[in-house]
Amino acid sequence: MIFPVAALTILLLGSDQSAAQAPVAQAPATTLKVTGDVATPLTLTEADMKSLPRTKVEIKEEGRGVIYEGVSVGEILKKAGVPVGAGMRGNVLASYVIASASDGYQVVFSLGELDQALSNSDIIVADTADGKPLFAYQGPFRLVTPKDSRAARSVRMLDHLEVVRLRK
Amino acid sequence: MRRIALSLSAGIWIAVVAVASAAHPPQAPYAWTLPRGFPAPPVPADNPMSEAKVELGRYLFYDTRLSGNGTQSCASCHVQALAFADGRAQGIGSTGQVHPRGSMSLVNVAYAGTLNWANPTMKRLEDQALVPMYGDHPIELGLDRSDNWLRAVEADPTYRRLFRDAFPAEEQAFTSANVTKALATFERSIVSARSSYDRYHFDREDAAVSDAAKRGEVLFHSRPLSCFTCHGGVHFSSAMGISAVMRMEFHNTGLYNLTGLLSYPATNTGVHDVTHNPADVGKFKAPTLRNIALTAPYMHDGSVATLEDAIDHYAAGGRTIASGALQGVGHDNPNKSPVIRGFAITAAQKADLVEFLRTLTDQALIQDPRFGNPWRR
Repeated sequence: MIFPVAALTILLLGSDQSAAQAPVAQAPATTLKVTGDVATPLTLTEADMKSLPRTKVEIKEEGRGVIYEGVSVGEILKKAGVPVGAGMRGNVLASYVIASASDGYQVVFSLGELDQALSNSDIIVADTADGKPLFAYQGPFRLVTPKDSRAARSVRMLDHLEVVRLRK
Repeated sequence: MRRIALSLSAGIWIAVVAVASAAHPPQAPYAWTLPRGFPAPPVPADNPMSEAKVELGRYLFYDTRLSGNGTQSCASCHVQALAFADGRAQGIGSTGQVHPRGSMSLVNVAYAGTLNWANPTMKRLEDQALVPMYGDHPIELGLDRSDNWLRAVEADPTYRRLFRDAFPAEEQAFTSANVTKALATFERSIVSARSSYDRYHFDREDAAVSDAAKRGEVLFHSRPLSCFTCHGGVHFSSAMGISAVMRMEFHNTGLYNLTGLLSYPATNTGVHDVTHNPADVGKFKAPTLRNIALTAPYMHDGSVATLEDAIDHYAAGGRTIASGALQGVGHDNPNKSPVIRGFAITAAQKADLVEFLRTLTDQALIQDPRFGNPWRR
């Protein structure tokens, strides 16, 4: 598998908690929350994800192709009332999404790069790999970012998407 | 050298390599039988794989005639039952000289970007084999450089057949260069991919590993432990893979922090030994964790006895040695990797993590007759 090595390294550099204060890993969540500047906050279960429009992407891991299946992030944001597609203009474009894992790992995407209509995004929230549920250390949900050269933003154990709109 | 390996498992795909000279009967093609998720390793164009060369390499690997005094073979320090490590903190050569570092497992060494514990320049198994064969700092196998030992090899009818089959196009095949080619080919064949972890992951046998191991796997891949940062990928080593530019990562994990010019013992300064760059003091490769339960003691100098102790070392963010010549607080080593920050872990979590590491043991590998001593038959 490909792991978000480099990005994790950077985050570890970014904070310097002492050993005694460092939290231990928490059990992976079983839902995906969508919150922040959204019209309809969501808490999606695995069953909810199966009911949304599904899509597949193939990426290379350790030299072999793996087919991940799930829901495009744009589709999830649309369900939460984020004005993707035709509404992606003006200060909506000054928004970003914080993707968080249950162990605290976080990465950021601009809202525009998650919108299929604007940027031809193929970023998905996956819940299966080669037709099988994800392993516990990966899922139940993970981001898959096929165009990234490394998997550093393919957040495993994804449990939260938070939309933030910049305000002037 | 001191590493190797090959695999066969509920193989899903097969890559065929090798072939031979058109002027001679074609050699049997070499078939990597590897599980899904395991691409075939890179092989140098000037030393293609063949079944005959693997077999010759195996005979040589287990032959004590490959030591100056006839007491040791490659297998003396790379024991199949111990995943081709030797269970010692530091290697002991044929004349009794103690190596500053421990014998490394040869498992999946074909995928290694660099060889040895801390040598960014050593990339070919064919070259590495020369170190134990002829090296005198320390003496390992202690072979004489005049290669008189090859005459004894040449006189053996078994070897006459094996060399002819392995190097059919060569009039004079009994050369040290061909010995290292055969040893390297055998080493590349030692692939470990049949652990219970592999059955769980690649064959999706959910019952192949325990719930404790599954919890441990989550810890391994989660903050704040993030073991995968240096031990990621199917080989559980960031220094192993198949990419054209294999990663060359070396890490100072805060094992020592001596006062004075060098923060690590002078006999083992890591990459600094090669580069003489002060910033490289204490930097060593993160070895594969496959079969790690078989390869104690741990770290380059075998100074950590158990897996539990190794986890304690990382949890503390470096080792503190309270007194003696090695006294120092490794946590504060100026070259320490920034990812070695320490973490809190409960006894139950540590047990889960160890349980996960034990799933990486490949019992099939250590019993596979293809990797065993052919002279015992």
